[in-house]
Amino acid sequence: MTEVVTIRGLDHRYGETHALRGVDLTVAAGECVALLGPNGAGKTTLVGALTGMLAPSAGTARIDGADPRRPATRRRLGVVHQSAGFPRTLTVHELVAGWAIRAGRRGSDADAILAEVGLLDLTKRRATELSGGQQQRLQLAMALVVDPTLLVLDEPTVGLDIDARRRFWATLAARRDRGTAVLLTTHQIEDAAAVADRVIVLHEGTVIATGSPADLTAQLPDRTVTARTALRGSELRALPDVLDVTVADGRMRATSARPEATVRALLAADPTLDDLRVEGATLEQAIVAMITQESQEVTA
Amino acid sequence: MNPSILAVEIRDELYAIIRDPVAALFSIAMPVGMFAVFASLFGTEGNGPVSGATLMLATFGAFGVISVSLAPGIGIAEDRERGWLQVKRVSPVPVRTTLAAKVVASLPVAFGVYAAMSLTAFAMGLFDTDIGTWLQIAALLLLGSLPFALLSMAVGFVARGRSAPAIINAVFLPMAIAGGLWMPLEALPPFVQDLAVWLPTYHTSQLGLGLLTGESIVDNVAALLAATAVTAALAAIGYRSMRSK
Repeated sequence: MTEVVTIRGLDHRYGETHALRGVDLTVAAGECVALLGPNGAGKTTLVGALTGMLAPSAGTARIDGADPRRPATRRRLGVVHQSAGFPRTLTVHELVAGWAIRAGRRGSDADAILAEVGLLDLTKRRATELSGGQQQRLQLAMALVVDPTLLVLDEPTVGLDIDARRRFWATLAARRDRGTAVLLTTHQIEDAAAVADRVIVLHEGTVIATGSPADLTAQLPDRTVTARTALRGSELRALPDVLDVTVADGRMRATSARPEATVRALLAADPTLDDLRVEGATLEQAIVAMITQESQEVTA
Repeated sequence: MNPSILAVEIRDELYAIIRDPVAALFSIAMPVGMFAVFASLFGTEGNGPVSGATLMLATFGAFGVISVSLAPGIGIAEDRERGWLQVKRVSPVPVRTTLAAKVVASLPVAFGVYAAMSLTAFAMGLFDTDIGTWLQIAALLLLGSLPFALLSMAVGFVARGRSAPAIINAVFLPMAIAGGLWMPLEALPPFVQDLAVWLPTYHTSQLGLGLLTGESIVDNVAALLAATAVTAALAAIGYRSMRSK
């Protein structure tokens, strides 16, 4: 597959702070990669280097083999920020058509894109008069109108309702299926798990894990055991391999390192047990575990 | 520089000036209104064959043109604070194109202010110059406003969006008064008259006055070139400061 993003040995410092430590990363055409990690992990710095906004201290970031610091490289780069801060004096159509022209395309391309993101009825409205969700769709329209080879999405669905989020991801998935590479940063890990082909976990400027959402969750042996039970919290905590227990309205929820052992003991201890379920770890649980383990290793 | 991209950038910046009612009031309506008031009061008091109202086209004209030339700095500060400049930085448009467009877009508006003042003088029957001189004054005032555009950009690169207009006007308005843009220098205290020759506002207005009265403007051009060099350096420092954040 064609590599659209190629990052090699990317390193960046802000004074004493070492924001990125030799990161390697690739995104292929038609691939959606989610970049996850806690605040301060280096996600924003990496996106800044990839979009040409900052010159890294060392290493390289390339889009289609070219340096994003050169304006011409950004012609087919679409970016959706957490918020855009649109000018008060421009309409929806003026913004999208203007963005097309800036990328060397025709202003008339704007109408098709505005229809694709569902803003065709609002073309004459000033951008600042749109709702938060509509403004994000406008940003997406500006990103798509350049016919991007790479879409960079920085927390794009913050503040969107469920319907708007679903529509946003559907538009994005269609573009990815047509060969656009997508790099996504988000704190909404469920979104990442649903849309990303590959997840990269960044912690303190270093890549600590990479793989498909299924691969990453499979690395965490913990399982969640839920059931209706007459046992009390103290009795549940005493069960083998239980790491954590909550009980609410007669329903227990336990995290277990060895669910088979926990379930056997649970069935033996409570003959009235009902509605037993064993669920795999979520991507969020897997990432939190990886970061915790990484922090403990660094401390040790 | 791609002409299509520059045209879109200029269009957007032009809309930023003329579609913003507050900016239009302070940059366009206020200077023209003040010209109308002062020309109606003192427009017949002239220098030889040239009426006071026509001379005011050089002084109030300078005030009006410079007022508009300050728009780029205010626009930059607002775009920065709102996050729009950040969005623009990941577009394929070089930052220098965006900045150039802000200055270029202010030129037709500034010319419009000068033209509106001239029409006012004409309507009063106090327009005492030929079209060639009138156009030369316009060209000189527009060129003479460059150091102010650069100064406003220097402020815009570092000041917050809301405070930028206040800072820019706090610098410009005293310079306008002390530079003789609102009233003749002879009407001002002697220390202000001594101060005036150090102010670029004075030299910008002298460009137009020199054309109308036949006096040499070589010293004024030299002073404005020096002011342009200084304000360009300030703008460059401000730009580097903004980029480093």
